[in-house]
Amino acid sequence: MSLIRIPRNITKKLPICHKFSTAVLNNEEYTTTPNYPPILDLSYEKVQERKKESNYEEIKAVKTIEEKQIKLNMPKYYGFKCYMFNDEKIPYGQLPLIQHITKTHLIVKDQLPDYYNQINVDTLVNDIKKDIEEVLVIEYNHYRRKHEVLNEDIDITAQDKLLTSSICRQINRSLINNLSNTYAHLKQLQIDLDQRIESFWFASGMDPPENIKRYRLGEKWREHTENEPTNRAMQYTGTSMISLRSKLPLLPIVPHSEAVNEDLKIPYFKYDPRVVGTITTHRHITNIPGFWPGDKYEYGLLSYHPRSYLIGRNYNDPLDNTESLHRQALLSCFGWLNAQANYLGFTTFNDITYPLVTQSAITNGQTWSFYVYQLNTILNHSKHVRENPKRNICWATPEMKLFEEIKDGKVVGFNDETLKMLIRYYANTPEERLGVNMKPYLNNEEKVCADYKDDDKRNWLEKEYKFLMANRPRYKEFYEVHHWEKIYKIDHQTRPNEARRRPFELNQKPSNRRLDHRQPAYIPRALRPDLPRNKGRYAKEYFP
Amino acid sequence: MSTRLYPLYQKGGPQLRIFLPNFWLKLIRPVHEQPPNVVQFACSMEMTKHDIQNYLEQIYNVKIAHVRTRIALGKTKRNLLKGYITKDDDVKLAYVTLPKGETFVFPECAPDQSQKAKDDHEKALNETKKGYQNFLDKNKYRPNMPGWFQV
Repeated sequence: MSLIRIPRNITKKLPICHKFSTAVLNNEEYTTTPNYPPILDLSYEKVQERKKESNYEEIKAVKTIEEKQIKLNMPKYYGFKCYMFNDEKIPYGQLPLIQHITKTHLIVKDQLPDYYNQINVDTLVNDIKKDIEEVLVIEYNHYRRKHEVLNEDIDITAQDKLLTSSICRQINRSLINNLSNTYAHLKQLQIDLDQRIESFWFASGMDPPENIKRYRLGEKWREHTENEPTNRAMQYTGTSMISLRSKLPLLPIVPHSEAVNEDLKIPYFKYDPRVVGTITTHRHITNIPGFWPGDKYEYGLLSYHPRSYLIGRNYNDPLDNTESLHRQALLSCFGWLNAQANYLGFTTFNDITYPLVTQSAITNGQTWSFYVYQLNTILNHSKHVRENPKRNICWATPEMKLFEEIKDGKVVGFNDETLKMLIRYYANTPEERLGVNMKPYLNNEEKVCADYKDDDKRNWLEKEYKFLMANRPRYKEFYEVHHWEKIYKIDHQTRPNEARRRPFELNQKPSNRRLDHRQPAYIPRALRPDLPRNKGRYAKEYFP
Repeated sequence: MSTRLYPLYQKGGPQLRIFLPNFWLKLIRPVHEQPPNVVQFACSMEMTKHDIQNYLEQIYNVKIAHVRTRIALGKTKRNLLKGYITKDDDVKLAYVTLPKGETFVFPECAPDQSQKAKDDHEKALNETKKGYQNFLDKNKYRPNMPGWFQV
């Protein structure tokens, strides 16, 4: 308290002097042992790694499925450079690459894994066999397809695919009809025909591209990282002829702890994926397991795939057909499960916390191959390619015949074993995983954007999400450096007097434009609330 | 291999029995690392994938699984005196995949020139150093005397 009382309005204007003032001591701030913040490694790599980790945590914290997918797409307005994989376009010798990028150990045996031995189907076979034989005879001999009626000339692969597709639909129908009394879960399924499956993940471990090596060599402090692997965006697109989905997941074939078993060997593919015929394109990354978010039937049980592409395939290699079937199965199973995992709130950066299982059959009606896939991890980027010990497992059977031939309206040489395997697929009952939080990274109240109460936000998210998933080209195409510019402006600077207007002259990188670097939608004056003229011109955006 | 103008066929003229196309393949060391069963060639622009496969199978009896080709853009160069720009010819590159399990190792035909050049440079450098040391030694007992001062 001062000796003289000075009016408050004067003291306010006086210069404040803290020279003789002391801070109020707060004893709670002090501890007996000093508590220092952690000492962080300030090297470039570690700082980058921490930045990335915090980004992954941000993605993990995003509430809904759609917002997570938008968040994944945020860094690239014009899309990521994706290495494209398709289920039916299979270049020669791609199996090791696919095993590497999906982290899959392949087990080829004559039988399905031991897990299926507990499912006894011997009593059911005889009843179903008659139905299946009838289906086969009708499909092969008594059913005329549209192109046959119209006498259209379509290629032999397409014909085979049509035939396979309709056989599979009939076999599926017959099996479900026959088995649904014994196995109640078959009454509660969703059956999709020709569903759209798209799946995305980052994979690392392969040699960096030449341009990345070049810029690393350009700086002295980064030279030692010249051959460090880089992340590559992998995008799978495919379809399955038929797929069955349920509300509950299948039980794991082997326990999740088995995933770290060192004996499950995976080939390490160190080359650029383009050396085995992979192509690249720029696109938004998409994860679509054949349905939209919010569908209650979100776990895949079984999918049928065609093998008609093998007809036109000739690489002078007797083992090539088997390998391409394995490759097709690995990718279609991993692709489907990865997309499902994304709908459960996991992403390529946030690993799954429990295993997922699916079953698939590749067939042309007569020859069948069976695959069972257990997804243990989807983490395969950056350092995790070395440090993540978990592996995925795929059990495969060699090709098997369902029947030898169809002669005089009768099926000759029907193979019960093949049918039994198929029945075991249907008999494998999905069960609730007790004590497991199936969606740990999704919000409790709002799991999909349809759960938002705010109309504007919900509509905006829905529109934006569907736009990204559609992958339609942008109204304004991505800028390109013209060839003459590359020669006369970039490689050889022959035009120094010209005004610098192009992005490469202004040190800009349009490819780094983020999704939210854009003007929001304009609201016409008549639709705005009563605000000053310059307020409320642009619609609100809800980027996660 | 040939570069020739074939006579235009006239009705009644003799039939050309042999056609010698401008086909050649040059084995080159790949820029981007390839799996052991992939071999890279530069080839004549006119050759298609089928031509390349036939060429290797029929002439050299090599089993081929798959052939991929691309046309690599020639490099541009600037004339240092006049400043105009010239461009090298484009090259067609073929990536030939051998069946799985086969390996190809690029042959070491010529000894490594870079090591020899390095050794030569080292030798010359040492000699220069020795000469300079001689020069210093010569003037060792005449401190502060300029080098040009001789008695």
